[in-house]
Amino acid sequence: MSWNEPGGDNKDPWSGRGEQKGPPDLDEAIRKALDKLSNLFGGSGGGDGQESTGGQGKNLGLIAVGAVAAIWVASGTYKVDAGNIGVVTRFGKYVEETNPGLNWHLPIPIERVDIVNVEQNRTLAVGFSNVGEAGDRSEPKEALMLTRDENYVDVRLVVQYKVSNLSNSAKKFLFNVVDPATTLKQVTESAERGVIGSSDMDFVLTEGRNEVVAQVKKEIQEVMDRYESGIEITSVNLQDVQAPEQVQAAFQDVIKAREDKQRLINESEAYSNDIVPKARGAAARMLQEAEGYKERVIAQAEGETNRFSRMLGEYLKQPDVTRKRLYIDTMESVLGESNLVLIDAKGGNNILYLPLDKMAQKLPEIETQSVTPPAKAESSPAEAEEPITVRPTSRGRDVRGR
Amino acid sequence: MTTFNKIIIGIAALWLIGAMFVFSVNETEKAIKFKFGKIVEYDFTPGLHFKWPYPFNDIKKFDGRIQTMVSKPEGFLTAEKKNVFVDFFVKWRVDDVSSFYQRVAGDVYQANNRLDPIIKDAFRGEFARRDIKQLVSTDRKAIRDIMISNSQASAKNLGLKIIDIQVMRIDLPPEVSTSVFRRMEAERERIAREFRSQGSEAAEKIRADADRQSVVTKANAFKDAEKLRGEGDAKSSEIYAKAFGADPEFYNFYRSLNAYKKTFNKSSTLVLDADSEFFRYFKHQK
Repeated sequence: MSWNEPGGDNKDPWSGRGEQKGPPDLDEAIRKALDKLSNLFGGSGGGDGQESTGGQGKNLGLIAVGAVAAIWVASGTYKVDAGNIGVVTRFGKYVEETNPGLNWHLPIPIERVDIVNVEQNRTLAVGFSNVGEAGDRSEPKEALMLTRDENYVDVRLVVQYKVSNLSNSAKKFLFNVVDPATTLKQVTESAERGVIGSSDMDFVLTEGRNEVVAQVKKEIQEVMDRYESGIEITSVNLQDVQAPEQVQAAFQDVIKAREDKQRLINESEAYSNDIVPKARGAAARMLQEAEGYKERVIAQAEGETNRFSRMLGEYLKQPDVTRKRLYIDTMESVLGESNLVLIDAKGGNNILYLPLDKMAQKLPEIETQSVTPPAKAESSPAEAEEPITVRPTSRGRDVRGR
Repeated sequence: MTTFNKIIIGIAALWLIGAMFVFSVNETEKAIKFKFGKIVEYDFTPGLHFKWPYPFNDIKKFDGRIQTMVSKPEGFLTAEKKNVFVDFFVKWRVDDVSSFYQRVAGDVYQANNRLDPIIKDAFRGEFARRDIKQLVSTDRKAIRDIMISNSQASAKNLGLKIIDIQVMRIDLPPEVSTSVFRRMEAERERIAREFRSQGSEAAEKIRADADRQSVVTKANAFKDAEKLRGEGDAKSSEIYAKAFGADPEFYNFYRSLNAYKKTFNKSSTLVLDADSEFFRYFKHQK
C-alpha cells in the first residue's frame, strides 16, 4: 500500500517537464527523487551501497526508465481525422468526445479512445447483394414480399447511412447495439415489408415509389432511434421494384399490350389522316367540275343562241331563199357523206332487196372510226342537251377535253 | 542497475496490486461481483471499481448492449386456418444481470434459446386471431406492441428487457404462393386484353369516323355540285328558250337541219325516194 504514494510522486516530474530539459536536469531530478525515496525507506542500506558503487550504470538505467516513461506519456497522443470523432473512455467509463485534430488522452490503461467516422456514408443492400462488377445477385428470399392485395413484389432497396454527427451519437453507436449494421438490415427488412404490406401492388410499382421510400426511411429511423443506435439514415433508394420473376412474362405482356393499344390507335389515325384529306380533295374536285360544267353549259347556250339569233335576223329578211339554201346545204353535206341508194320506182311493187344485216355488221367498227362529227353540226343544240344525261365520271373528261 | 531494477519492480508491483484491487467496467458491460461464489453486487456504473483480490472477490462481465435473436422461419396458423411462414427478430438487452447470470448462465446463446419458444407461443396466439390481410398490412404495429408487452414478464424472469419484436417475413406456403402467382398472371392477362381491346375499339372508332367524314364530305360535295349543275342547266335553258322563242317555226327547221347533219355520217346508208324535195330537179330540170 505504501508504495502507491511515492509512485504517484515520481510520476509528476516526468510528465510535467518533458524531454526538452535534457538528460542532466532530468538525471538530477530523478536522483533527488530517489534520494527522497531512500530516505523514506531508511533501513535499506544495502541498496545504498550498490548505488554509490555503480553510479554510471545507475544513470543509464534512469535514462532508460525516463525514455520509457516519456514514450508511455507520448502514446496518449492521437490524431482525429476530419469527419471523425474520438470517443474517450477512462477505465471503461465514457468521458468525452473529441473533435478532429491532435489530441491527447491519459495513456493506456487509464484512458482509451475509439475513433468513429461520422461522415462516411455506408451502404446496405436489401433484396440483393452487390457482387461488384459482375452485377447484382438477387436474393429472392429478401426481395419477395406480399402487398396488401396479396400479390408479390420483388423489391430491391439500398439504404445509405452514417453515424450521426449529433453529440453523443458516436457514443451511442459504439456502446448501445451489438452489431449495428446487421440490426439496420433487419430493421430495414421489417420496415419495408410493413410499408409494402400496407400498399397495393400497382401503387408500389408505379406512382407510389417515392411515398414508399419516404415511409420506409421514416420507419427505419424511428426504430434505430429507439435502439439509440446513433445511426442516421441519409437515404433510402428503391433500386428496383418489379413483379416477381415467376410472373415477369405476364407483366411484360401488359406493357406490350399498352404499346399495342397505342400502335392500333396510331395506325387508325394514319388511316384517318390518309382518307379524310383525300375525300376533301375529291369533294373539291367535284365542286370545281360542277362549276366548270355550269359555266360551260351557260356559255354554250349563249353561243348557240347568239348564232341562232343572228341567223334568224338574216332569215327574216329573205325567209324563202334562206330556208331553201339552208335545206339544200344541209342535204348536201348529209347526203355527200352517206351511202346513198336512190329509188325511183313510182308506186312500184318491185321487191327491193337491201342487205341490211350486212350493213349492220359493219356498223360497230365504222362507228368507232367516225366519231368526229361533221364540222358544221358540232355546235348543234342536240349536242348541247346531251351532256345532261351523261354520268358524272364522263363529265370530267368532257370538260377537260374542252 | 539496481535502482533501475527497483523502479521496474516497483512499477510492476504497483501494477499487480492495482490489478488485484480494482476492476474497470466498460460502457458496454454489466458486471457482477461475487464473494466466495455469492453475488454481492451487480449494478456497477462504467468506470473503475474496487474489489478484494481473487479468492475473496470475483468479477464476471457481460455484454450490456442490445442483442438480437433471429428466429428461423416457422409455420403459424392464421384465423382463416392458412399456414403462413414467419420469421422475426427480437431485440433485447440484459436488464437484471443477476437473474441473467443465474437463469441462463449469462450466455447469449442460451438466452436466445429460452426466449425463442416464449415469443413463438405469444406469436401463435396473435396470429390465430388474425387473417393474412391483417397480418401483412394493418396489424403489424399492433402485433409488435402486444408482443412486447406480453413477453416482457417472461423476459424479465431471464433478466432481460425486450426492446423490440418485429416480424420480418410473412410468407405463404409454396403451394399457395404458386396460386398467387397464377392469379397475378391471370390478372395481368386481363389487363393486357383490356388494353388491346381498348386499342381496337379506339382504332375502329377512328376509322369509322374517318370513313364517315370522307363519305359525308363527298356527299355534300355531290349535293353542291348537282346544285351548280342545275343552276347551269336552268340558266342555259332560259337562254335557249328566250332566243328560240323568237321564231319557233324557224327554230324547228333550223334545229332539224342540224340534227340531220349530226345524225348521218359516212357509214349511214340512206334509201331515198327520187321524188323527194331535194331531188326535185334531179329528174325534171325545169
